[in-house]
Amino acid sequence: MYKNIFQYDDMKCAEHMAVRNAVGWYFWTHQLVEVTGPDAAQFLDHLYTGNIASLPVGRDRYTTMLNEQGEIIDDVVILRIAEDTWWVSTLYATRCDDWFYFHQEGYDVDWSEVTGDWQMLAVQGPRSADVLSALCRDSVQDQKFFENRENEICGIPVRINRGGFTGEKFGYEIYTAPDTLEKMEALVDAEATKQGGMRVTEFQVMAWTLPTEAGLYYMRDLAHTNPFEVGLDKHICWDKDFIGKDALLNIRESGPSREMVGFEVLADDFYIRSKQYGGPGEPVCCSGEEVGRVSKLVYSYKKEVNNGYILAKKGALKPGDKVTIHGTSCVITEKNWLL
Amino acid sequence: MSKKIDERIPQDSGVGTTIRAYVALQSPWNKLIAYQEAMHYISRFESVLSAAAMQALRIMIPDYAERAEMMCEEAFERLYRTGVNYGDDDGFGIHPFMCGEFPGALIGDKGDDALLMCGRCQDFGTYRCEKELDVCDWDIVGSELCRTTTMSLQGQAKASAERRPGGPALDYMMVEAKGCGDRHCRIIAESREKYPAPAHALWESFGPAVTEEYKKYTEEADCVSEPMMFREECGYRFVNGTNNETDSSNQMMNLSTSASLYVLPAISEAVRRGLATRGQADHILRCVLEAAGKAMFGERYAIRGLRDWMGVPASVGEDGRLLAGLIELQLQALVCSYSVEAFNETECILVIDRGGLEITGTKDLPEAHLAMWYGMVKTLVNAQWSCWEEASPAGKLRIRIAKKIDKFA
Repeated sequence: MYKNIFQYDDMKCAEHMAVRNAVGWYFWTHQLVEVTGPDAAQFLDHLYTGNIASLPVGRDRYTTMLNEQGEIIDDVVILRIAEDTWWVSTLYATRCDDWFYFHQEGYDVDWSEVTGDWQMLAVQGPRSADVLSALCRDSVQDQKFFENRENEICGIPVRINRGGFTGEKFGYEIYTAPDTLEKMEALVDAEATKQGGMRVTEFQVMAWTLPTEAGLYYMRDLAHTNPFEVGLDKHICWDKDFIGKDALLNIRESGPSREMVGFEVLADDFYIRSKQYGGPGEPVCCSGEEVGRVSKLVYSYKKEVNNGYILAKKGALKPGDKVTIHGTSCVITEKNWLL
Repeated sequence: MSKKIDERIPQDSGVGTTIRAYVALQSPWNKLIAYQEAMHYISRFESVLSAAAMQALRIMIPDYAERAEMMCEEAFERLYRTGVNYGDDDGFGIHPFMCGEFPGALIGDKGDDALLMCGRCQDFGTYRCEKELDVCDWDIVGSELCRTTTMSLQGQAKASAERRPGGPALDYMMVEAKGCGDRHCRIIAESREKYPAPAHALWESFGPAVTEEYKKYTEEADCVSEPMMFREECGYRFVNGTNNETDSSNQMMNLSTSASLYVLPAISEAVRRGLATRGQADHILRCVLEAAGKAMFGERYAIRGLRDWMGVPASVGEDGRLLAGLIELQLQALVCSYSVEAFNETECILVIDRGGLEITGTKDLPEAHLAMWYGMVKTLVNAQWSCWEEASPAGKLRIRIAKKIDKFA
C-alpha cells in the first residue's frame, strides 16, 4: 500500500485552501485562437454546440466541439472580444486549427493562434474581487460572471475576464502582454498576500483538485464521451445546425449509454488507477459485472475525502451505492463537493 | 551466379478483391506477420543488437562508473539539444501553463508506449512525477543504459523547462530498473526545492527517492504485457492525462533503438574523448556483433523456429534465402525500403535504403546490422555462407549473401 499523494501533502492543501478561503493566483495561460471575419459567428455556431452568435460583445460562453459521431473533441470558453472578433480559449489549438481548416468552406472567416501574444493569470477565491479592485483602474465589482472587459493595472493595458476553473463564485483572469508578465505577477502577488492569499504553484491543484471539487472537467475526462454522458447537454443550442447534431439527436432519442458520476474512497491509502494519468482507469465492478471505469481520483481538501469521477453504465450506479474498486470500498456520490 | 529472383507472390497480390486487407509484413514465402507481432519481434531483435554493442563499449571502457558517466553526459547534452530544437509541445500534450521540468515526463510517457514499454503513469505533478513500466525490451542491454535513458529524459525536461520557464527543476531517477533485475522500471522525478536531498553525480541516477513512501507498486496480477495501442480496454489508443492521443501508427521502432539513440553515440563519444581509436572501436564492435549473430542460431531448434515463422517451404534448403528472408522482414518492420536484386539458392542481393537503416541518423548502424547478419548466416545456414557489402550505390547498402571462402574469416 502506498501513501496518498494528495492527502498528506501540506503544500497542495495550503494552495488549494487559499483559493477556497481567501484568494489564490497562478499562471494559467491557455492556447488562444482568434477568429475574425464577417461569418465568424456563423462559423463558430457551426463548429460548437452552444449559441455563439447570440453572445454579446464582452461576454463568454463555455461550450463543446463535437465530431460527426457526437463525441466531444474539445471543450472551450469562447470570448466575444469585439463585434467580429472572438477568442477561443482551448488546450487543443493544433486540433482546433485542423478542425477549423477542414470545415471552413462557405464561410468568410479567418483565424490564427494568438497564444504568444497574451499571458494569463488566474486570481480565484472569495477575496479575488478585492485583489482586482485594489489593482485595476476600473472597478470589477459589477462585472458579471463570464464577462470580459478592457481595463488597466498600474498603467498596463489588460483584459479582465470574470471566470475560472475552480468553481468559485468570484474568480478573475488577467490577460496581459507577455513583456508585462513579471511585473503583473509581482503586483498580483503583493495584493493577494495582503488579502491573506498565496500563489498556487502545483499543477495538480490548478487542474485537478480545485476543479474536481466543483464537478468541472479537465481534458482527458471528456475524451470519447458525448455531452449527454457528462452532463453538458444543457449547454447545447438545438435551434441551429452544428457538427454532431444528427448523432446527438439519435442519442437523445435512444438515451445515453453511460453517465459520469461522483465517488469517494472510504480509505486513506489505496491503489486505484484513474484516467487522469492516462490509461484505461480502474474497472468498477458491481455484483461481479464491470459497470464503469475510474476517470479521475484526487482529494477534496475542503471535504477531506478522496473524491473523483466514474464513467459508468447509465443507471448502474446511484448516489449512496457502495462499490469495491481494486479491493477498496467506495461510495457513489453527486459530482460536486462544494455544495 | 545469376541475378535470378525465385518466384514470389507480390505484396499487392489480391488487391481489388473483396477480401479485407490487413497491415502485415510479408515474408518471401507469403507468410504474413501481423503488425503487432512484427513490432514486438523487431523491438527485441534491435535490443539484442544493442546489448551486443554495449558489450563492445564495455570492452573499450572497462570501468563501470567511467562508462556510465560518459554515457549519461553524452545523452543528457544531446537530448537536451534535441529537445531545444524540437520543441513539439503540442505533440506531447505540454501546455503553456505547464512550467518547469515536470512536463518532460510527458515526453517519456509517450515514447515508452511507442516503444512497447508498457506500464502506467502513477503521479504527474509540478513537484513529483512517477512512471512505472512492466515491460522493457531494452532490459537486456545493461544497467548503464537505464541510467543513461534517465539522464536523456532529464535533458528533455531541461529543454522543456526553457520553453516554459518559471517552474521548479526536477531530479529524474530510475529507482527501480528491469535492467537491474527489478520487476518494474520506475522513474521518479522530484523537486529538490520541495523534497531536499544531497546532490549526486549525473550518472548516479538510481535514487533513492525521498518520496519512497508515495511509490505506487503494481502487483504481478495487475501488470500488463501490451502497450495501450494494442489493448482493447484502452480503445487501442495511447492516451495520457492531457489531450495527447495516438494510435498504433505511432510506433517508434524505426525512430529509436537503444543502439541508435544511446550505445553507438556513446561509442562515438568514447572515440572523441580518446578512450579508443575509431579503428579500435569499429574492430571491437564488429567482433562482438558477429559473435552475437552467430549465437542467434547456434541452437538448431532456433533455425526450425525461424523457418516456421517465415513459412519457408521444405523445398528451400540450407541457403542464403533464409537470411535474406529474415532481413526482409526486419527491414519491413523498421519501415526501411529495400529492393531485391537476386533471390535464389546460390545468392541473394538486397539493396537497402541506408538512411532508413540509420534510424534517426546514426551513421554506423547499417554496419552494425551487417556485422550481425554476417554472424547469423554462419549458423542459420552454414559457414560456407557469408554476407557482405558490395558495390553499393550512393545512399544504399547493397548486401550480398552467398558462399564465400575467406582465409581471414
